[in-house]
Amino acid sequence: MGTILIVAEIQGGKIREASFELASIAQKLAAAGGYQVRSLLAGKGVAALAEEFAKKGGGDVYAAEHDSLASYCVETASRAIRAAVDASGAELILLSNTPSGWDVAPRIAAALDAAFVSDCFKLDLEGGKLVCHRRVFNGKLDARVTTSGPRTVVTVQPGAASPFAGSTSGKVTPLAVELPAGARARFVAVKIAESKGVDLSKADIIVSGGRGVGAPEKFPEVIQPLADALGGAMGASRPVVDAGWLPHHYQVGSSGQVVQPKLYIAAGISGAIQHLVGMKTSNYIIAINKDPDAPIFEVANLGVVGDLFEIVPALTKAVLAAKG
Amino acid sequence: MKILVCLKQVPHQDARLDVRPDGGWIQEDTIKFEINSYDTYALEEALRVKDATQAEVVVVSIGPERVTQALRTALGMGADRAIHVKDPAVDGSDPLGIAKVLAAIAKAENPDLIFTGFMSDDGNFASVPPMLAELVGIPSATAAVQVERKNGTLSVSREIEGGAQEVVELTAPCLVAVQTGINQVRYASLKGIMAAKKKPLDLKTVADLGLSGQVGAGAAKIKVEKIAPPSKGSGAEMLTGSTDQIVSGIVSKIKELGLL
Repeated sequence: MGTILIVAEIQGGKIREASFELASIAQKLAAAGGYQVRSLLAGKGVAALAEEFAKKGGGDVYAAEHDSLASYCVETASRAIRAAVDASGAELILLSNTPSGWDVAPRIAAALDAAFVSDCFKLDLEGGKLVCHRRVFNGKLDARVTTSGPRTVVTVQPGAASPFAGSTSGKVTPLAVELPAGARARFVAVKIAESKGVDLSKADIIVSGGRGVGAPEKFPEVIQPLADALGGAMGASRPVVDAGWLPHHYQVGSSGQVVQPKLYIAAGISGAIQHLVGMKTSNYIIAINKDPDAPIFEVANLGVVGDLFEIVPALTKAVLAAKG
Repeated sequence: MKILVCLKQVPHQDARLDVRPDGGWIQEDTIKFEINSYDTYALEEALRVKDATQAEVVVVSIGPERVTQALRTALGMGADRAIHVKDPAVDGSDPLGIAKVLAAIAKAENPDLIFTGFMSDDGNFASVPPMLAELVGIPSATAAVQVERKNGTLSVSREIEGGAQEVVELTAPCLVAVQTGINQVRYASLKGIMAAKKKPLDLKTVADLGLSGQVGAGAAKIKVEKIAPPSKGSGAEMLTGSTDQIVSGIVSKIKELGLL
């Protein structure tokens, strides 16, 4: 029925878990729809990783080896992927919706004049046709998307599928990638975040406030007192930091800190995917929001539809009373 | 120097999201619209370059009559000129179709820099900006949290995971898709709003851009067939009642967890 090309990603010298999740999706689609699975592994020193991926769901793997591929760069990655698409004739190209994936995948789709569906959490075959599921309106609604045309590029949300757990056999073939001089994009460096403030990943209890808290002064007035009463730390969602109400080190989410406390209380947080990624594996989640349809309630254990300005101060008082 | 800023008008972030009876999108007739949050940061980034260098800032947006308001707001904030692609033939375009429209504008304008938002608050596709760059043949960087200009190159810090940043250098002309929070967005001054009324706002159609038959629903390769509220998983236990009852319920739970 066709060929699926997985664009795998290397991070810290290993194949990213998200790539094994793509393998899992590809192998399921292959079994259901008769696809052949191929993969691309591009980087520096990839031979052993390519062998590994061929055995763990990657199928036949193209190994693109070049110093310039060692760190992600939009131009070099684009060329490597185009070379793999040309070599494989793939009709379905899968990437993870990681910072590299979302940077290069749309360019590949435009260059191929292909259908492109980003940030999917589920892919199904219905009557031989691909159906993609993704969220819109910052996580509030699910969308069912279909594609047409001979070629489709899809990016998949990391963590949406389980990593491939079986074993496969595939051969590794070197792939030559033309990387001419005069590149107009150049990788310079990765800057690690300086750790400032409380390390939220070590807090047992986190009380986070979102846009619903309404104003910067309400954080020390309303949210911090509850965190203090519980002996926990205060956190925030992205819009709070974007607005300059709190510094970046309070941010919980995919581009801030990923936390797993024993108790996570979210007040006035809608629950956009980027935030959920940062806290959904918390042991116990309590959400307070005036919007009954807020996506946060999908990951919460306990939910309250109500006014945080009534509930949180009353809760703080009750906690202090309980502690005597 | 010329900077092109692409803006999208989207439902206001607090708008009621009622799904249309056919399930194809939300009801848009009765809600308020605003400039996509990510795009306001892109416009601000362009205006800061203009403050420093006297660049010309051109804003472009695609959509029905209501889009004029978004463009006038942008002009009020300091943009010099606006282009409104107003044509029902664009309706139903997929991101690639939108990118083709913007690419036609970009090829005519030949900007040194294109600033866009990273994604839209409604579709969240994050697809148009890199597609636009590919079609125009220029390098791009997405999720930018810092942009520094240095003589024909742009040093862009891209937000990656865990609070880290990836620094990439792009040779102009190039495109940058910015993350929210990259700057603090200015308000339009009263003087700016008055001046905006006299600034040029040009209308374009699909035919003007030579794209007849290449955009719109007929050309789209992806179709959002149905949107619906997500099926709730095992779901949260919802506490109701008076504030006292709710607080009492929460305190019990925290005690059960051994944390109080």
